[in-house]
Amino acid sequence: MNPQSVAAAFAVGLLLAIVLYIGVASYNAVMSLRQRIDKAWSNIDVVLKQRHDQLPALVSAVRGVMAFEQDVLTEVARARANYSPTEPIPDQAVHSDETTRAVRSLFAVVEAYPEIKSNTNVLDLQTQIERLESMIADRRELYNDQVYRYNTRITTLPTMLLAPLFGWQQRPFFAARPEELERPATDL
Amino acid sequence: MRWMPIDWQPQGIFLALVGLGVGLWLLARGLADYREATRIGDTSTSRIATLAAGEVQVSGVIEAAEVTLISPLQSASCVYYRATIDGADDGIDIRADLEELGADFFEERAVGFRVRDESGDIRVFPRAARWDAPTTLDDSTGLMGDEPPGLRIRTGPAIAPTGLGREAAIAALLARPEASPDFRPLVILGGGAHQGIGGGDRRRHYREATLSVGDAVTILGRALPFGDLADPAEADFAVGSELAPDDAEVVGDIAEAREAGLLAATPEAAWGNAGIPGFGIGHPVRAPVLDPQATALPLGTPEQASEAERRFEIPSEALVLASAPDAPLLIAQGIPSDAVERREGRFLLGLLGAIVAIASAMALAMIVSGALGT
Repeated sequence: MNPQSVAAAFAVGLLLAIVLYIGVASYNAVMSLRQRIDKAWSNIDVVLKQRHDQLPALVSAVRGVMAFEQDVLTEVARARANYSPTEPIPDQAVHSDETTRAVRSLFAVVEAYPEIKSNTNVLDLQTQIERLESMIADRRELYNDQVYRYNTRITTLPTMLLAPLFGWQQRPFFAARPEELERPATDL
Repeated sequence: MRWMPIDWQPQGIFLALVGLGVGLWLLARGLADYREATRIGDTSTSRIATLAAGEVQVSGVIEAAEVTLISPLQSASCVYYRATIDGADDGIDIRADLEELGADFFEERAVGFRVRDESGDIRVFPRAARWDAPTTLDDSTGLMGDEPPGLRIRTGPAIAPTGLGREAAIAALLARPEASPDFRPLVILGGGAHQGIGGGDRRRHYREATLSVGDAVTILGRALPFGDLADPAEADFAVGSELAPDDAEVVGDIAEAREAGLLAATPEAAWGNAGIPGFGIGHPVRAPVLDPQATALPLGTPEQASEAERRFEIPSEALVLASAPDAPLLIAQGIPSDAVERREGRFLLGLLGAIVAIASAMALAMIVSGALGT
């Protein structure tokens, strides 16, 4: 084997090593992204569950005083009952948004009842649920950002070449599907 | 006029080998940076206030915790520095591994700090972290022996307490640092105290990288409750000890000592004044027991005492950022996109290194085979 052949083999080997390295790094990056998405979802799921567990305590704490606000309380109970950790993520997003809206309505109504506002137990529950709502919002942003990064990665070079080989599919965002966001036109 | 034929072969082989080595080194560094850029770029930045335990990336501004460092070459207040002097005289005491690297003086040091974003702050324990800090001093001794203008050799202690309060902080800023009588800054430069800094006949190259309070950083690592940190200060056993803390003999000895009443019940009982929070930084929260001949330290006010307690007391359930055995902390200057951009730049340089290595290998082959021999 003459020196030129050795040099040519070295060049080809080096290029192959670079390609292989980038391929392995890309594969590992996608695997890490999938793990991060799963973790981000678990972190949302934990808070959804906590909110689901806290709401009955809040409703029962204010029910006695808010006897004339049954609609608001019923809406909170209905939204809470829709929570199902096994349904698809976009559906969970819809139900989570409904619960958030119902809870906000309840808090707005509570403002009109000074006797409830001065109740420490209710205030504590309100603070806890507001904190959970804030955590859901933040972690939703984090989850969606992670999904965005994953979806972008598997549709761009060089990783898009590996996606068909390993069957990588786009992941859903924690958001309502566009058709579910449509509202009937209101004639003012 | 007759031209003497020049034999280019030894020089050519040398240059080709250098090109090959440098090219491969650039490539290896570039590929490592590619992986790191992917890791940073693929991790979403969390808000500190709603951080969950596990691998996270946070981005914010550095805030001092209990103490800050004073860098050795610029006397800059910082939380991390890496200082190098090349070309110092031979009398300097340096570690053997650094001597192999060709560095005459090398010091790298970090202290714990906080990082704050718009939602809150979190404590960072930078032990075993990898740092990507900007070079803030990169200059050499002038031709006339004059030292670079940015050089301001540290003349006091390497650690400064924080949380002095506004008035004390202003006074500390305005005060001229006084060198301790036995401090000889030129020792680290390899010269005697009687010589001027430029008194030696060798030129020195100074490099210092620092991360200071107020700098923007991106930190990628593991968030975990403070209580889960395994002895962050390694205070329980000697560094380098091969004995595990759960070693049967060690456990037996401790149990025996406890039964015999040889183990102290409280830190104060074990370490005396050193167990008082704030004692080591000149702000003890309680009156220390002193030798009657010693100069009594002024006691802090109740506000300062509670501030010191707050600073040193970290609740067990509070999340902190620290290295995990499988995931060392990465602390990089700037926002995440800056950190990624720097690494992508080095990756491209690495690809250029591959081209240099291939070209050098080709040239070497041609020289060896005689095609480019003379």
